[in-house]
Amino acid sequence: MIKKKVTIVNDAGLHARPAAALVKLASKFESDFYIHLYGYKVNGKSILGVMTLAAEKGAELELELDGPDEKEATEAITELIDDGFGEVYEDENE
Amino acid sequence: MSDQVDHKEMYISGAPACPGIVIGNTSLFQRVRPHITDTQIADDEAEDHIRKFYEAIDIAEEELEELLENTDLKASTDLIQMQIAILKDPELHDRVEQEISANNKPVDSAVESIFRNYLQVIRQNHGETFQNKSVDISDIRDRLLQIIHNKRDDIKEGTILVAKELSPREIISFSNRDIKGLITDRGGATSHAAIIARSMNIPTVVGTKKATEVINSGDEVVLDGRNGEVVVYPKDETRKKYKSLIAQQSKRQADFESLCKKPNRTSDGTPFTLQANIEFAEELSIANKYQAEGVGLLRTESIYLSRKHFQDIDHQVAFYASILELTAPHKVTIRLFDVGGDKFFGDEEKEQNPFLGWRGIRMLLEQPKLLKNQLRAIFKTSSDFMGRIRILVPMVSTINEIRKLKNIIDEVQKELLNEGINIDKEIPLGLMVEIPSVALKANLFARHADFLSIGTNDLTQYTLAVDRGNERISNLYDQRHPAIWQLIKEVAEAGERNGAPVSVCGELASDPIAVCCLMGLGIDTLSMNAVVLPAVKQLLRSNSYADMQRLAKKVLQAETLDDIDNIFSNWETKE
Repeated sequence: MIKKKVTIVNDAGLHARPAAALVKLASKFESDFYIHLYGYKVNGKSILGVMTLAAEKGAELELELDGPDEKEATEAITELIDDGFGEVYEDENE
Repeated sequence: MSDQVDHKEMYISGAPACPGIVIGNTSLFQRVRPHITDTQIADDEAEDHIRKFYEAIDIAEEELEELLENTDLKASTDLIQMQIAILKDPELHDRVEQEISANNKPVDSAVESIFRNYLQVIRQNHGETFQNKSVDISDIRDRLLQIIHNKRDDIKEGTILVAKELSPREIISFSNRDIKGLITDRGGATSHAAIIARSMNIPTVVGTKKATEVINSGDEVVLDGRNGEVVVYPKDETRKKYKSLIAQQSKRQADFESLCKKPNRTSDGTPFTLQANIEFAEELSIANKYQAEGVGLLRTESIYLSRKHFQDIDHQVAFYASILELTAPHKVTIRLFDVGGDKFFGDEEKEQNPFLGWRGIRMLLEQPKLLKNQLRAIFKTSSDFMGRIRILVPMVSTINEIRKLKNIIDEVQKELLNEGINIDKEIPLGLMVEIPSVALKANLFARHADFLSIGTNDLTQYTLAVDRGNERISNLYDQRHPAIWQLIKEVAEAGERNGAPVSVCGELASDPIAVCCLMGLGIDTLSMNAVVLPAVKQLLRSNSYADMQRLAKKVLQAETLDDIDNIFSNWETKE
């Protein structure tokens, strides 16, 4: 099992689009994936669960991965979060 | 239309969300909040209810997948994908199953209560701000419940829809049912739903507060999306007034459209090419309507600025591909990111003169990862669109910049070829001519480029030393200035001598008489905001190339801006 801390860096936080991207990525891996924040623990492959976290910019998540591909999964998920889910802010015009 | 005769004409108003006038009968859309069964089910019924749940999930997912295929709007696809992710949520599945089998709840009640739990926690943790987003979650819950109850809405095709509020998903799905207009009680012109209505070009008035109270299903209304007005039970004369307005508008539109179908030739047969400047795929609907021959300037800054470091190459590829698909068989000129460094490296890098600073190619060359990502995305896209992409480089001021860029392009091409990706190796590389020194030395620069595109907005600002954003001197900013014409002439001749085609993509190309003058200088490819395309085309078609050459000659002899204004207004009255 791997545990790792990551910080949300994108301005809008872990809102709908990033949550969808996170869940989509996590679902590609076999390992179980849980996120801990403010005493909550949610299934990282559940978009509704992830959205209940309401993780805003600066929030420090603890990722917990357990399974055969836990290492790759941790790396991929960390990269996605560190990159701010590829966004700085939600663009109104999009 | 209502049978009763004693209805009085009534005006209600809201915020205009998408222009256009329509007259028609309404359909009242009510979100069906089905009555939830509060009975308990027997143990042996559980399996049946679980099956019903998954059937509803499948149907809802299929619907969304279909919507996804019919939309190329980023905002809509994000939303739909989020809703699909909810339908696929493994935890949701487990909990609903559990609620049915362990708590003996019927399927509708199970769905309702599990969603209620989620929404409660979400609202609690997010506070007020999440209200907007939770709409999309309750929307998908309602759709599931509707499917379970086999409910259909009674919206008639071709009607004007009246609703309390509409979710973006609902608007997207209505647009497939020939809905003529939308009127809502709630929402503002900048709401997500309004943005989507606009991009689908459905005349819309939002935020009327009381539309659903005063309008009944089947009532006749006039919807004026230009000013946010709705007339309920219009009197004969009101109807007549709006009908003639609609006729006028559609006549103008039809005139434009038939004009745009005619060949791009001057009255004495010289051909020309009119293209569109765009930033979003949605702008192509009007460009295509007016028969723009491709995109002369695709701005890429907006996608850049909303994506930190823009590492998502696939996202870029998808964006470029969506534009290319909608413009076949024409060419699309992609301008590399043209922004100042201050825009994405934060305030600490603020410059005193950003327009004379670290921007365009100057910045890109110092951010090789950024530049390479964009080039990779462009070349990757090219494999499906051979011969249709051109690259335009902003803010070039030295030959060395072009050399460096070409080296990086070579590198990127090699990398992609090594990865076995088929790319267009012949993508033309063009330079923006927007710095006076480049215009003056156009002969030199033209030898290092496949084409030149004159950006008259910045060229004017740099040549006249006028910050166009500074109101105190804005009267000094005029793209028709004699000095600008002089520079344009240099560039046109240099391009001609060196076999590098020259086009204009600045605002000057939106000014019909100026365009005639550009034609007269031998610049036959113009790129503009598609809205002005019919006006430009009309003037080009009704004049001879010989006359345009004479106009250009006069303009080049002009000494002051006043002279040019005179020449232009004489040319105008000659019509």
